Amino acid sequence: MKKFIISVLGKDRPGIIAAVTRVFFEQEFNIEDVSQTILQAEFSGIFIVTGPDHCDPQGVCRALQTATDGFDMHFHVRLMDPNGSRWTTCACEHFIITTRGPDRKGLVAQITAILAAHNVNVTQLQAVFRGGDEPGRNIMIYEVDIPADIDQSQLNEVLKAKGRELNLEVNIQHKNIFEAINRI
Amino acid sequence: MLSNSEIVSVLEMLRNEHLDLRTVTLGLSLLDCASDDIKRFNDKIYDRITRKAEKLVMLCDLIGEKYGIPVVNKRVSVSPIAVAAAPFSSDQMVLVAQTLDRAARAVNVDFIGGFSALVEKGIAVGDQALIDALPQALAGTDRVCASINVATTRAGINMDAILLLARQIKAAAALSADRDGIACAKLCVFANIPQDIPFMAGAYLGVGVADAVINVGVSGPGVVKKAIDRAVETNPDLDLQQISELIKRTAYKVTRVGELIGREVADRLGVHFGVVDLSLAPTPNVGDSVGEIFQSLGLHSIGVPGSTAALALLNDAVKKGGAFASTNVGGLSGAFIPVSEDLNISEAVRNGYLSIEKLEAMTCVCSVGLDMVPIPGDTSDETLAAIMADEMAIGVINKKTTATRLIPVPGKKAGEHAYFGGLLGESIILAVNNAQGENRFVRRGGLIPSPIHSLTN
Repeated sequence: MKKFIISVLGKDRPGIIAAVTRVFFEQEFNIEDVSQTILQAEFSGIFIVTGPDHCDPQGVCRALQTATDGFDMHFHVRLMDPNGSRWTTCACEHFIITTRGPDRKGLVAQITAILAAHNVNVTQLQAVFRGGDEPGRNIMIYEVDIPADIDQSQLNEVLKAKGRELNLEVNIQHKNIFEAINRI
Repeated sequence: MLSNSEIVSVLEMLRNEHLDLRTVTLGLSLLDCASDDIKRFNDKIYDRITRKAEKLVMLCDLIGEKYGIPVVNKRVSVSPIAVAAAPFSSDQMVLVAQTLDRAARAVNVDFIGGFSALVEKGIAVGDQALIDALPQALAGTDRVCASINVATTRAGINMDAILLLARQIKAAAALSADRDGIACAKLCVFANIPQDIPFMAGAYLGVGVADAVINVGVSGPGVVKKAIDRAVETNPDLDLQQISELIKRTAYKVTRVGELIGREVADRLGVHFGVVDLSLAPTPNVGDSVGEIFQSLGLHSIGVPGSTAALALLNDAVKKGGAFASTNVGGLSGAFIPVSEDLNISEAVRNGYLSIEKLEAMTCVCSVGLDMVPIPGDTSDETLAAIMADEMAIGVINKKTTATRLIPVPGKKAGEHAYFGGLLGESIILAVNNAQGENRFVRRGGLIPSPIHSLTN
């Protein structure tokens, strides 16, 4: 069995998932994992599938293009190492970092540069633009894994200092507080 | 994966609605420090408190930072000193209070509670010494809080103790006259005192609990108010049942914060986790007020007709939501209506909407009682005792906790301004009916017997 990771991009419309998964079915693929979202009007999906050994990425890509002819879709198919392991450093704690403030270029780049320098992995990144006439209500949400062995106070201080420089309010909170408050 | 709205709603509560953890209180037993040598006793209790509470403030700050939720107050409560220090004279009791004050400073907690006695059925030697020491102990220290339980549903009301305390309250006010009688703000007189209150001034560690325990007091009046405001803005025709449901859900969220942080502090300190006290505790800040909730519910001001019903609804909904959110609920658990500590409530007094009689009526349906109520300095001992007796009767007959924290402000009359500062706030002095008149009923003394429904065995 081979394992593939397949990304699907294109303008959203009814029938994309039906066409893509029909190809998987016909090629005897099994979907192991999927994440799909719509950003503004664009469809984006990532599938991890396993399939017969005779399949190759180019062939899968061609079959997907043919099945979605006229949809103007873009596909990228890559073979995965079936025994590939996750990125990991050591024990991590899950935190939510939020930034609130006026939108401008380079905000995410500057925040994530600090995270990268501290070996903090971003597992989820979302933008909540509720600003309208109030740019101060633009919020970026970073779900991150912070290694347990780093000096978190120092990380917090660096992030907050960068926030002040960028006119952003930065909050760093353990994920459990959100789950405790919102979920039964 | 958390949703956007889950994350943003928590941020809003923190940013705009004053969500915080009002107090984490470490209860410490001092009973095994007993000695008949005052120096030895003081050394032992100082050592016990400073050793056990050494890391309390640091850990609360650390864990508060981890969750992004400030732990506003870190406090210590101890075994009732009248029991732990029973052999000592009143002068020596003052020395004990000073030792507690020093220990509180050493571990950097703003208040230490437990300068307390339980006298509902009679006054023992240690109780008498502690009560005699109250004025000096309270006026001569900054951080020591006292509580005296004078009544229970099972025992009745000790009227002798109440009259004695009225005199001591007046004496404590006189000793702190330059600060509007602030010493009295550190003394609560109780009926049915719980053993696990985390809030001051009533906190003490009961005799039936473990050596060390963390009790937590949540807050959140601002969160409840904003939740009601948002819901009413979306649907102006919300009925009271729907609002009650909304308050329950909000109280659930607020309580979860206390449960999560309290348990972690207890784990890190290696002590038991006690209770979450589900009280809506205000501060003298706009947006952090229990009084403002009454306006959100549709009343012109706290104190106008409808206030008791509104408070009943609020108190009940907070308990229901909070009880579901916590494994151990205790303490006072209800809405506080401390007059000087709540900007909106003190405004209601200033505007003439709230009298001491209406406050008393409202305490029938909420926790605590006549809390942080400044009254004229020339209120007689007997009238002061009578006000306390009325409040105790409400607690005893209704099988609930009630208390008074009355401040006869020296040299000032009804309508004048009393200022205590900080969390204790400020207020117009409330008028008292028959303030200087005699009261033969109170003077008779003795015990008002326990009610018939105390015979439950």
